[in-house]
Amino acid sequence: MKTVTINPVTRLEGHGKISIFLNDEGNVENAYFQVPELRGFEKFCEGRLVEEMPDITSRICGVCPEAHHIASTKALDAVFHVDPPPAAKKLRELLYSAFFVADHITHFYVLAGADFVVGPKAPKSERNILGVIAKVGLDVGTSVITHRSDALQVIAMIGGKRIHPTCGVPGGLSKAIIEEERSKIETIARSEVEFAKSSLKLFEEVVLKNQDYTNLIKSDAYQSKTYYMGTVDDQNRVNFYDGKIRVVDPEGREFERFAAADYQQHIAEHVEPWTYLKFPYLRKIGWKGLVGGNDSGIYKATPLARLNVAEGMATPAAEEEYKRMYETLGGKPVHSTLATHWARLVELLYASERMLELSKDTDITNPNVRTIPTHTPDEGVGAVEAPRGTLIHHYKTDQNGIVRAVNLIVATTNNHAAISMSIKRAAEGVIKKGDVSDGVLNMVEMAFRAYDPCYACATHTLPGQMPLDIKIYAKNGAVIRNLRRP
Amino acid sequence: MSQTDSPTLVVGIGNPIMGDDGVGVHVLRRLRGNTSPGTNVEFKELSVGGIKLVEEILDYKTVFIIDSIESAPVGSINEFSPEQFNGTYHETAPHDVNFITALELYRKLQKDRIPERIRIFTVGIHNEWFFKEDLTPPIQAAASRLSELLINELSRREGRI
Repeated sequence: MKTVTINPVTRLEGHGKISIFLNDEGNVENAYFQVPELRGFEKFCEGRLVEEMPDITSRICGVCPEAHHIASTKALDAVFHVDPPPAAKKLRELLYSAFFVADHITHFYVLAGADFVVGPKAPKSERNILGVIAKVGLDVGTSVITHRSDALQVIAMIGGKRIHPTCGVPGGLSKAIIEEERSKIETIARSEVEFAKSSLKLFEEVVLKNQDYTNLIKSDAYQSKTYYMGTVDDQNRVNFYDGKIRVVDPEGREFERFAAADYQQHIAEHVEPWTYLKFPYLRKIGWKGLVGGNDSGIYKATPLARLNVAEGMATPAAEEEYKRMYETLGGKPVHSTLATHWARLVELLYASERMLELSKDTDITNPNVRTIPTHTPDEGVGAVEAPRGTLIHHYKTDQNGIVRAVNLIVATTNNHAAISMSIKRAAEGVIKKGDVSDGVLNMVEMAFRAYDPCYACATHTLPGQMPLDIKIYAKNGAVIRNLRRP
Repeated sequence: MSQTDSPTLVVGIGNPIMGDDGVGVHVLRRLRGNTSPGTNVEFKELSVGGIKLVEEILDYKTVFIIDSIESAPVGSINEFSPEQFNGTYHETAPHDVNFITALELYRKLQKDRIPERIRIFTVGIHNEWFFKEDLTPPIQAAASRLSELLINELSRREGRI
């Protein structure tokens, strides 16, 4: 029998590429992040029935199909000028909160956890989820996969499937839930709240009580001062499902606040010849290159950005953790890329508490979950906060509901410029005198990983993951190190 | 459901709107169309990998995974066991862990839920990353061959299909 070294998953994916150029002294001269896959998804959608969009768009990502499904469904509401009944809105938000719980659990424990729990410079063979489990124990590991799985069960109850939900229709949902399901969701939500609290406690024990890690979070290599974007409710508190998009400047002052439908007046997109992925920026400030600060239109839309943008959290325990985070890190806004992990855990608690609130609302078993559209379809925008940032779907149709134009601004695209800058800054901070050892390069990747970027999603080409190539070039152009992450 | 009386699970992986990438899903749909009612076989179309893929195969005793790969000749059909996919086993991916690491995670935490037998069938493709719903002629032919092979295999296991 032949032995073949193949990962059956990676062949599905696009790949990102980090190129770091060193000078004669072996220090970083420049660093680029490239996404080489072709776009074309918007074109593929033209000529389709617009009602198909929630199912089609959820196929562009195996990681956050729920985000695309809900943003797309909200866009359909707008296209058909229909307002869903209260129960439908609440059920959509409940599904969406469960999705956030599953996604944020995965990122913290499976992806980011190894950097802190095992250590940023630990041997590569240990710096993974298996290494995390070896440190925190099998019980915690079992709790992680159980709570992730339970959240997916909630998605299945409301959305019809654990992956790629199919419930979204213009004007509401395709089905209601019954009391037995509501009761089950409430039980799950209670447990998720406790798990989120224990996750924040673990973060405190492992990260905040370790001086090396807190120094790392606060170090210059991981600072990135930009504008911030996120969706807030009418009291400027974080909201994942609905609200106004708010932008604050690098000092935390409100710069603008707008309805998603007006996004084109506020967000423009810059194109560079060396990457297929666009660089969105704030139209009123303009594109000034890959630089941060008040004079550059670059913004971030991440868990940390959402917290920087907001004036608080809408649930009690998350609000306490929100205040604690900013007190510990010296006030708002926080510019440390690595603090994104902490912000993600505060959001995990908010999502869990919001799940619990909604599951206790007796209105969610109301069988009236759809307003039948009666208007002729034309154009609409739907937006949500995806786990990785603001996600906008914009469709134009003819009078028969056939898609004529599509524009998507996905979470990772919003952060493209900021990711590129963070990688460069981290590389400059940690690569010295030509030391490009594995541990050093992992510390560069940590800047990238904090964003949890989904380039498959951003380029609309692939269903989920993304291998990463890292190449280090000497001054003479020779490749002196080449790494590939699956 | 205990593993003893669990049906055989057939998983077709791929993106059905990405041309040849979706060959696993195309083969699965052919198998499903050729399955008699009452046959103890379940089918799942998935566009995921890593942990999500492992979660979907838990509690089944026997699982067939149909997928495409780019590192084999175009149109070739191969069968692998999970143990043969060991090259990138212990690395952290930027966005998820790979299938084998995810499988190992569940082996540590919920060993009894891992299928006794996982067979991975692949079709070699060269994906041009165009959005389309149909397959290129060589992959269409390979999909037919693999469908026939799997129908025979499942018939042998189940007595009929």
